[in-house]
Amino acid sequence: MTPHASRRVLVGLIIPVGLGVAWEVAVDSGLTAGRLMPPPSHLLHTAILLARSGELWTNVAATMGRIGLGFLFGAVAGTLLGVLNGASGFMFRLLDPTIQALRSIPSLAWVPLFILWLGIFETSKLTLIALGVFFPVYLGVLSAIQGVDRKLVEVGRVFGLTTTGIALRITGPAVLPAWFAALRTGLGLGFMFVVAAEIMGASEGLGYMLVDGQQMGRADSILVAMIVFALLGKACDSILVAISVPVLRWQDTVRARL
Amino acid sequence: MTQLSISHVGKTYADGTEALRDIQVRANEGEIVAILGGSGCGKTTLLRLVAGLDTPTEGTIMVGGEPIAGTHPAISAVFQEPRLLPWLKVGANIAFGGQRLEATERTRRTEALLGRIGLTGYGGRWPRDLSGGQSQRVAIARALIGHPGVLLLDEPFSALDPFTRGSLHELVLGLWAELKPTIVMVTHDVDEAVTLADRVVVMKPRPGRVHDIMTVDLPRPRDKLSTAFELMKRRVLRTIDRSLADDRPKAVAASGAGGTSPWL
Repeated sequence: MTPHASRRVLVGLIIPVGLGVAWEVAVDSGLTAGRLMPPPSHLLHTAILLARSGELWTNVAATMGRIGLGFLFGAVAGTLLGVLNGASGFMFRLLDPTIQALRSIPSLAWVPLFILWLGIFETSKLTLIALGVFFPVYLGVLSAIQGVDRKLVEVGRVFGLTTTGIALRITGPAVLPAWFAALRTGLGLGFMFVVAAEIMGASEGLGYMLVDGQQMGRADSILVAMIVFALLGKACDSILVAISVPVLRWQDTVRARL
Repeated sequence: MTQLSISHVGKTYADGTEALRDIQVRANEGEIVAILGGSGCGKTTLLRLVAGLDTPTEGTIMVGGEPIAGTHPAISAVFQEPRLLPWLKVGANIAFGGQRLEATERTRRTEALLGRIGLTGYGGRWPRDLSGGQSQRVAIARALIGHPGVLLLDEPFSALDPFTRGSLHELVLGLWAELKPTIVMVTHDVDEAVTLADRVVVMKPRPGRVHDIMTVDLPRPRDKLSTAFELMKRRVLRTIDRSLADDRPKAVAASGAGGTSPWL
């Protein structure tokens, strides 16, 4: 990591570390008991115990497995349908109104139906996560394809590209920035939906840790699960950004200069 | 070298707007033809029809004696904006114009053109790193890499400062002298038309029609300070003025209020 990159990471740590230190001091000095909001040292201790027992890793693996598969299905389906509806006016008119109507249904409203249709086990959970990922990816890809600069498409036509050539060499690269942005949004929603999926009836996973912590009155366990969620979410998002950087380095954006 | 023939071409849009009516223009092999006219006279529409980006509702466009429908391998274009593909480096943008070339030949011509447009060493840079003039040079190189028979120029110098525009005129004339494509250029700059063109087609608006076709019988390189150049410019300006006067409301024209040309 370059000194510049290290500084950027350190700047991002100022607020969480500052809050953590302030809370630790507040509990240590007796200003608050810290029973419902344990200090960082206590959370670290709980996390180490959960990690040593293997419970934490089992839950992390279960959650990440669900997010991984749900994200994969949702992203692939969203991308394919976005491309299909973006490329074909007929398909857009045929499918988009239905998809938009389905999008308007609050996603959690699907939970009872999914349990009824698909059972309480993995299939219903994966379907719910995939559904959450699908809509932002579909919308992002569709609107990016519909927004491709006509003038660049004309360049492709003048220089002899076929329809497939235009799709691969003009539309594809032009859509990439919006696609990555949509994937990041979809991933964020995937994390949101995995919690809903695991709360609706799981025996392992970070969402299960949350419910279990609530039932057992273990605020530390709940907070550890939340922090692990935050760390995993940030790590997954960073992986997506890292993949996008070399692909999108041609962009002339403000973000590239930050 | 390719001859371009536009016969009785008309364009009426779906909403009934007639953009062009009975256009007849012929550009001989290796000739530079400039299309001039007031705004709304259909200059760019005509160029889009020739480029195959739009379809005429009447008439025929022929290249090398063959009628064309849609884009054609012998026709290339430079647009008002460079329209470089931002995800391709400068060299790849130039090579993009040579889709039909064999890979080694495409690379050889790309390198040669980079030198020819004064951008040696810029092949690995991104378009975002170029100035407006440099970008338009790349666009010209991209249009010429395939050695097109017909090159269309749609006001490619209009957004540039006079100095850059002058250097691009020289570049285009130099490349034209080497490759001898037939050039059809749209411009609203009379000076530019007289500097570059062998013939000037003056169009009049609503709907776009050919008002007059004038031969620029001046030797190359043209001396912009010469009397002959100045006289030619005045002739073209008067013709444009007449083309616009035909279109002015009669009452305004009779009162003399519309008598002063916006071009003079």
